[in-house]
Amino acid sequence: MRILRIGPLGISTHRRTFAVGLVLLAALAALLVFALMQGQSDISILDSIRAAVGISVGPPADFIVGQVRAPRALTAVLVGAMLGVSGAILQSLTRNPLASPDFIGISMGAGAGAVMTIWLIGATSLWVTAAGAIVGALATAALILALSWRRGIVPLRLILAGIGIGFVAQSLSQYALTRMDVHDAGNALGWLVGSVTGRTWTHVTVCAVILAALLPVVLWHARALRTMEMGDDAARALGVRVGLSRSILAVCSVLLAAGAVAVTGPIGFIALVAPAIALRLTRNAGVTLLPSALMGALLLLAADQVAQAMPATLQLPVGVFTAAVGAPYLMWLVWRASRGGPS
Amino acid sequence: MSKRAAIAGLCLLVLVGAIALSLAIGARSIDLETVWHALTAFDPSDKDQLIVRTTRVSRTVIGVLAGAALGVAGALMQSLTRNPFADPGLLGINAGASLAVVIALSTGLATGFAAQVPVAFVGAGLAAILVYAIGARGAAAGAPVRLALAGVALTALLTSITYAVLMVNESTLDQYRMWVAGSLTGRQAEDVLPLIPIVLVAILAALIASRQLEAVALGEDAARALGVNIAAIRTVIIVLVTLLAAAATAAAGPIVFVGLAVPHLARALIGASLPWLVVVSAFGGAALVLLCDVVGRVVAPPGEIGVGITTAFIGGIIFALMARRMKVVEL
Repeated sequence: MRILRIGPLGISTHRRTFAVGLVLLAALAALLVFALMQGQSDISILDSIRAAVGISVGPPADFIVGQVRAPRALTAVLVGAMLGVSGAILQSLTRNPLASPDFIGISMGAGAGAVMTIWLIGATSLWVTAAGAIVGALATAALILALSWRRGIVPLRLILAGIGIGFVAQSLSQYALTRMDVHDAGNALGWLVGSVTGRTWTHVTVCAVILAALLPVVLWHARALRTMEMGDDAARALGVRVGLSRSILAVCSVLLAAGAVAVTGPIGFIALVAPAIALRLTRNAGVTLLPSALMGALLLLAADQVAQAMPATLQLPVGVFTAAVGAPYLMWLVWRASRGGPS
Repeated sequence: MSKRAAIAGLCLLVLVGAIALSLAIGARSIDLETVWHALTAFDPSDKDQLIVRTTRVSRTVIGVLAGAALGVAGALMQSLTRNPFADPGLLGINAGASLAVVIALSTGLATGFAAQVPVAFVGAGLAAILVYAIGARGAAAGAPVRLALAGVALTALLTSITYAVLMVNESTLDQYRMWVAGSLTGRQAEDVLPLIPIVLVAILAALIASRQLEAVALGEDAARALGVNIAAIRTVIIVLVTLLAAAATAAAGPIVFVGLAVPHLARALIGASLPWLVVVSAFGGAALVLLCDVVGRVVAPPGEIGVGITTAFIGGIIFALMARRMKVVEL
């Protein structure tokens, strides 16, 4: 009886998921073009697209679009996608719609790496600081995975170990903040919030390589992920190697988050909110990886457009804006849940 | 009963030892005899005795106050949410206090530490009330989980506003980064005087209410059967946690982990009896904060490391190791 009902439901959600994916893709493309055109100096649609793909159209557009706007926008798109997928995996594995890589210490680790670098070496260049963030993110990721690894990874232990390591990383950031020059401290704060300002094609390449390496692995295990949502026993009965799949997916989720925060600093709430909205739009019963990726990309790119549209005295990192929108959304979810009884 | 009293007495002894260390150790080490003379037969001409009387007594008083308040707040919070990983910081208290201090600093309303105490207290309290209003509406089953989520969300929101203010205002950042490090230095005991009765009364009230909270912790049905008004006792506990944690943050800056770890360790020592847990958590919290402060004074000479930093660093490692050893049922 139940199996019969799953069949048609599966087909209908599939169609809807596909349609939602196409709409999201179209919206993302439109917003991307807008992001290339819009700014201090407006550049025509054709020129901006040409400049972005490397066709020379003359001095201002070549530099503004080709070297500033395009890498910044693409960094936002790729990092948003990484965060969206990372959050979707973690939420599915823990069967908790409120799990998020924001809370498991990697963000704090990347922030601590960047802040310590600024303190010890100085804010010499974006590259040196970013290298510090990468080291911080990978070190915390390795530490968290090592601490939570006992014959495979149990998601709850991963989150708890992450919270503990997050405390340590935060204390290191705060210590470094009290020791450095005030001007450097202001600069360092940017790495504790997350920003896509000044990102270059190299950042885009780094993100693209990480996504290209990990996304196929994740999609390969997507069926296992969906099956595990029905319970470990059901998944085992359907031939899923639960322990192995879970460990691989957890590692992928952590690495995607680590890559994202290493490039931009910790941008909050995208990983939490994007999978939730994707689920709602597709009306899927289980995890939706690609729509989550598209949603994350769309959200981060949109948030960065808002950040850029602010007046010159209020030029703040995009992380401030994602939190300003994401946090009230989460509070609204909680508020609604407490009105409707147990959820 | 007597075994528990013995354990509580032992914790008190540890606290007395921590107080002695806190008075004696620092940039200038002072022997315990001089410390004793400074307290009983004060000689203003002796430089060592003067240091004890002027700076060491103040920071010790503040440390005991903040540590005891956080320990008790954590014990109440964990019983209320039935979650051994609950922390009073979950109510958004640290973030609320931080934002209030930053706003006061950037508008020039509160420049000295004495003025920051009430500001931080009010900010912490307002954040907790907001979290409670969002998360515990209707007091339905599962409310504690929502409380924690509302706290996480509000913390993120307030922190991002705090950072936004700090990024456009460098001089505020300079003062704020010292406050947020949670240091006991440069603070006078007189500044926190109004907080002492608040903490004492709240701990006393916690002791009185703890029997009924214990009944709630047994499960809502059991509590109702015992004639406990669940909504009322929850509200009382939340008010007490807010008062205690806000007072601690106002006195010593944001200190994480003490409210989380101390009740956890206390439970391992003395069992689940809540009145005893409150007593042991008060002693243990005070001792932990003082010891962390002493460590922060000596590890990085000639400078000091704020107690908020040392507690988070040491505590985070213990927490992660605890999570590793924990027996987790596969989710």
